[in-house]
Amino acid sequence: MGKIVSIHSFRGGTGKSNTTANLAAQVALRDKRVGVVDTDIQSPGIHVLFGLDEQKMGRTINDYLHGKCSIGDVAFSVGENGTDSLGRSQLAGKKLWLFPSSIKGRDISQILREGYDVNKLNEGLQTLMRELELDYLFIDTHPGLNEETLLSIAISDILLLILRPDNQDFQGTAVTVDIARSLDVPNLLLLVNKAVPGKYDYEDLKAQVENLYGAPLTSILPLNFEIADNASKDLFSLRFPDHEWSQGLRSVAEAVLSVK
Amino acid sequence: MVNDMTDDTILQLRKTFLFSGLPEDVLSVLSKSIVHRRLSKDEILFRKGDAGDSLFMIGSGWVKIVTEDGLGSQLTLNQCGPGEAVGEMSLFDQAPRSAGVVALSDVTLLELKQDALLKLLDQRPDVALLVIRGISSRLRGSTTYIEKAIEWSKKMAEGDFSFIEQSSSGEFLEHATQEDRAKQFLSEFFKMARNVRAREEKLKQQVEKLTLQIDEARRKQEFEELTSSDFYANLKEQAKKLREQRQDKK
Repeated sequence: MGKIVSIHSFRGGTGKSNTTANLAAQVALRDKRVGVVDTDIQSPGIHVLFGLDEQKMGRTINDYLHGKCSIGDVAFSVGENGTDSLGRSQLAGKKLWLFPSSIKGRDISQILREGYDVNKLNEGLQTLMRELELDYLFIDTHPGLNEETLLSIAISDILLLILRPDNQDFQGTAVTVDIARSLDVPNLLLLVNKAVPGKYDYEDLKAQVENLYGAPLTSILPLNFEIADNASKDLFSLRFPDHEWSQGLRSVAEAVLSVK
Repeated sequence: MVNDMTDDTILQLRKTFLFSGLPEDVLSVLSKSIVHRRLSKDEILFRKGDAGDSLFMIGSGWVKIVTEDGLGSQLTLNQCGPGEAVGEMSLFDQAPRSAGVVALSDVTLLELKQDALLKLLDQRPDVALLVIRGISSRLRGSTTYIEKAIEWSKKMAEGDFSFIEQSSSGEFLEHATQEDRAKQFLSEFFKMARNVRAREEKLKQQVEKLTLQIDEARRKQEFEELTSSDFYANLKEQAKKLREQRQDKK
């Protein structure tokens, strides 16, 4: 049975989609069968990192939720269709599928207006795990704690919480950790992203974070202009594998893979 | 005994920069004008501002050169030992003593009065030339050190401390004697540059220690708001069932 890995942050702008895409790619590179679902229906974005644009985009999570297609129809095979850049070309032939949310304004406003059946989303995710025989299903969630995010957390085997080193993120993450514990999420992992290089005592920060949340901090990743510059064009950790950020991200991937 | 004393005096004179280049017969004449003096520990030889007309060469023991800082407390500029000289500038100018001298131990001194020197120079113009040559050579050396200090100052101002690493700079850390005031200055300058660089590097490394601050009351309130809905109760129940199902499949 595969594992559902939800990636979440309490506030936006933590680099969540970028981290999710790179994590999924790193795991797929190790010949695991990997799915990535964009449940950030209000503000989708992860598709760009996998080389999918509006023209190429076929069926979406929105179509599935509105009963227009099956969840399998939404799959975009990155290993077959998204290898148009230097980083992504390494994914050729790998078993990595993306399940994108619609980027059409009409679809987004419809779902915001009408809402959707959270249970149907859950059914879809369970179907994917089964039919594609996924080892890992990564869920890119919407920031905050709305209903679909609570669902993603509730069904997770692993919840990876991303936070920046500031007190607003520390506060919001504390509430999310309490929710995860209340929903019996078996594995909680933490990741600090966008740390200004050299500004903090990393050992001290790690000790404080782990002590506060009672969960392992997998890595402290640096804030970096090159990542910001590259983010929407390619998978950074594949394109620049020797970069400090990429090395740190691989330790996060190792932490995910080592969960039994 | 007298001859021994004269020989010893000549030996001392030969060790000073002013007289080291003089021929034996001149040193012998000069030695007759030397007055031997003794100081006990903590005794003051002269104070800053005193009128001065003598040069003192140290035979044995140590003295410290002192001045006062802006608040009136004593500041030691340097320490001098056997063979070194103090007060030599007073031989040629009439200015008062620029610093005081205090004995650090029991000290023997060779005093040469200005009158005695001027009398000798009157009789032996060739000696005057040798003395001037000695002073001139030292000035030339000082100029080299001063130029070095100027170069380093400019580099430091630009944040370039590379001169510290250059191997030739190491020599400036060697002990510089009182005789070599310019070299002594450069040595102090070099130490200062190293300390400034060390402080700058320490500042760069100073990292911010974040203190994680959580408002526990707010945390509790938000948690209760989120978990009090029917949706949440239902979700919790469903999640539990789902986990059990998947556990069974394993």
